[in-house]
Amino acid sequence: MSAWETIKENWRVVMLVFMLVLSTLFLFAPAFEPSGSQGPAAQESATNLQYGLELSGGSRIRAPLVGVTAEEVQFEGRDTAEVERQVAAELETGDSSDVIARFSTNSSGTVELVTENATQADLRNALDAAGYEYETVRDGVTDETRQQTIEVLESKINAAGLSGGSVRTIGNGDFVLIEVPNDDLSEVRDLVNSRGTVQIAAYHEVQRNNTTEYVNTTVIRQEDFQTVGTAQQGEQGPGPNVPVSVRQSEAERVQRLFVETGVAGQGGTDCTFSQENGPSTTEPCILIIRDGTVVSSFGMNPSLAQSMRNGEWAQDPQFILVTGSFERAQDVSVDLRAGALPAGLALDEGTATSISAAQGDDFKRDSLIIGLLAVLTVAGVVFFRYGDPKVAAPMVVTAFSEVLILLGFAAFIQYPLDLSVIAGFIAVIGTGVDDLVIIADEVMAEGDVNSRRVFQSRFRKAFWVVGAAAATTIVAMAPLASPWLSLGDLQGFAIFTILGVLVGVLITRPAYGDILRALLTDR
Amino acid sequence: MARFEVPEVDYTRYTNRQLAAIPLAVLAVAILVIGGAYVTTGTPVDPGLDFTGGTEMRVAVDAPSDAQAREDIREAFTATPNSIQRVGNSDVYIATFQTEGSETEQSELTRQLESEADAAGFDVRSIEGVGAAFGSETQQRALIGVVAAFAGMAALVFALFRTFVPSIAVVVSAFSDIVIPVALMNLLGIELTLGTVAALLMLIGYSVDSDILLNNSVLRRSGDFYESTYRAMRTGVTMTLTSIAAMAVMAVVASFFGIGLLASIGTILVFGLAADLMNTYLLNVSLLRWYKFEGVAR
Repeated sequence: MSAWETIKENWRVVMLVFMLVLSTLFLFAPAFEPSGSQGPAAQESATNLQYGLELSGGSRIRAPLVGVTAEEVQFEGRDTAEVERQVAAELETGDSSDVIARFSTNSSGTVELVTENATQADLRNALDAAGYEYETVRDGVTDETRQQTIEVLESKINAAGLSGGSVRTIGNGDFVLIEVPNDDLSEVRDLVNSRGTVQIAAYHEVQRNNTTEYVNTTVIRQEDFQTVGTAQQGEQGPGPNVPVSVRQSEAERVQRLFVETGVAGQGGTDCTFSQENGPSTTEPCILIIRDGTVVSSFGMNPSLAQSMRNGEWAQDPQFILVTGSFERAQDVSVDLRAGALPAGLALDEGTATSISAAQGDDFKRDSLIIGLLAVLTVAGVVFFRYGDPKVAAPMVVTAFSEVLILLGFAAFIQYPLDLSVIAGFIAVIGTGVDDLVIIADEVMAEGDVNSRRVFQSRFRKAFWVVGAAAATTIVAMAPLASPWLSLGDLQGFAIFTILGVLVGVLITRPAYGDILRALLTDR
Repeated sequence: MARFEVPEVDYTRYTNRQLAAIPLAVLAVAILVIGGAYVTTGTPVDPGLDFTGGTEMRVAVDAPSDAQAREDIREAFTATPNSIQRVGNSDVYIATFQTEGSETEQSELTRQLESEADAAGFDVRSIEGVGAAFGSETQQRALIGVVAAFAGMAALVFALFRTFVPSIAVVVSAFSDIVIPVALMNLLGIELTLGTVAALLMLIGYSVDSDILLNNSVLRRSGDFYESTYRAMRTGVTMTLTSIAAMAVMAVVASFFGIGLLASIGTILVFGLAADLMNTYLLNVSLLRWYKFEGVAR
């Protein structure tokens, strides 16, 4: 037999070897090293494998977005800002940032209410009171809002310096999954939990009905900022702060408001505002309001006040936000740079997980031990059963190569390995060996296999059972693998079990047949 | 080298009724256990943290003795832990807290536990908090998943064999393979977790392998019924024993290391595959024999 014929005869083995070489390349070759920082766990290691949160440490938060949505609301020619204002006016809070209106056709669209504890009845009542007609009201938010929220969450995470974080939707899109390499759960939760609406207001006296009262006048809104610096310690001067600049188009208005409200008073202002005491006598103040609460209050220094009074400031509208503590400076800076979340996360309706790097390492080591022991057990039982290394050794080698190919595949698609994926690998070894036992028993049944033809017919018969068994496993695992049913935890298990079965049926098990034939028929 | 051989069972000595009686009786008892649990607790099996909501915390405690460490953990937290489990021989403990029935919201509970653990000087290794609403949603999806997987498997089996009795034999024994482990979970006090659900789905796929092998051997292959049965049994028992051995090792080692997911997958598969040995070679065989000798003739 020529070399070419040998290859042609054993093409299944050639295929297996090819897949093994390819997998080894994906696993170890530096050329396939994970590029950039995808997923929470980009780290240096001996292989190109990516480890998921459970094996590398980090935090994971999974929660639905807060909100109810009315569909097909007739806007009657009004623009979305007007709809938002009118609907918000009928709510207890009256805050138009809690209402989002979007066009879906020329004349109608959706209205979302995104306050915490918002109910369908709240939105119905507000729409009815504002006189808008609508089709249905449902829980949840629109795809656009979800997409925007994800983008803002991503930039918040990046702005907070948590590189390698990821944000995506799971399930049938209702849930948002956030993974970051930081294992301080409280910190991560605070970061994603705040809506992060920041505004700068003037706190000042007004005369109303012959009495003096204090009011907040919004001077700078989130969208009015041109640039936002990183948090500064400001040790020499005002203390922790965030340097900002205002958009040129808004500069005149901001300047005018500061002067009118008296914040930019002659000789500057000295602020003695305190939240605990409620309205108190103070000179006009600048307030930083984050998510409805006053973060800090401060006065304006004389030189800045002077430049606002004579109109110079608007030429170069820079400003520093004094925050009182460095931590608050960081929060404000992150919020201003990332923007506000259109809708908040309902943390109580989700899950929050954090795993320390040390625990991740333990899981990595322990699951490796478990996997190896499971493989050794399988090998032991198979050797014990067949006694013949010619049958048993290729069986164990084949089962191993299934796992190697799967690992190579995981490295290639950069699928982060988690405990559930490892459970999938162990399941694959289990089913894989089952099928090899079927093939071996069938081929060796009823006396020696001495002709190629006998072998082929027996192998084909065995393969019917193997194929049927593989099909049932795939069908049983499909619901868990589908994004519609799985909320993510066991998806890896299901996906790798199914992949393992496919690799087994298409590549490794046919090759085992060829190896067995070579060992049993060639004499 | 030592070898084991699958012993040949002399099926001719027993009637179909005798053969089927044992697995059917076990199945009936299992259904009774599950029904009883449902009547007394309102759920067919005790749902774990994944489904009820709550917090699981893994902390390293520096204490001179095991008892002292447990005492320290109880003192450190204002919430009462539902369980405290030691991981192997290490100083790491897993404490679980359920939110069920308490006023504290999930995220608040987790935050509180986290700061209490820090205050007590424990090294927090991991925290997992599950909201109650999320838990019940997961429960619903898990149920749909198991039902869908079972229905898909049954449809596939009918499509493969295209005859009623042999197909229903496979489906009934697969059903029993799932019900018996669930009943055992009730008896042994094992909670339903995502891992056990995964294991039940895995069982649907895994356990029908030996039934398909048996049916294929008896129906599609030449030879006498008993010969075919023995041939399928030799292969099938080897297969199932291999899997049981692998899963038992995984269950034991994983529970030693405190990796709940792998431990519960291993445990449930051991139960289910053991049940499968009984169901395949008593129930399925008797149904097939009836079909082969009496059903076809009619």
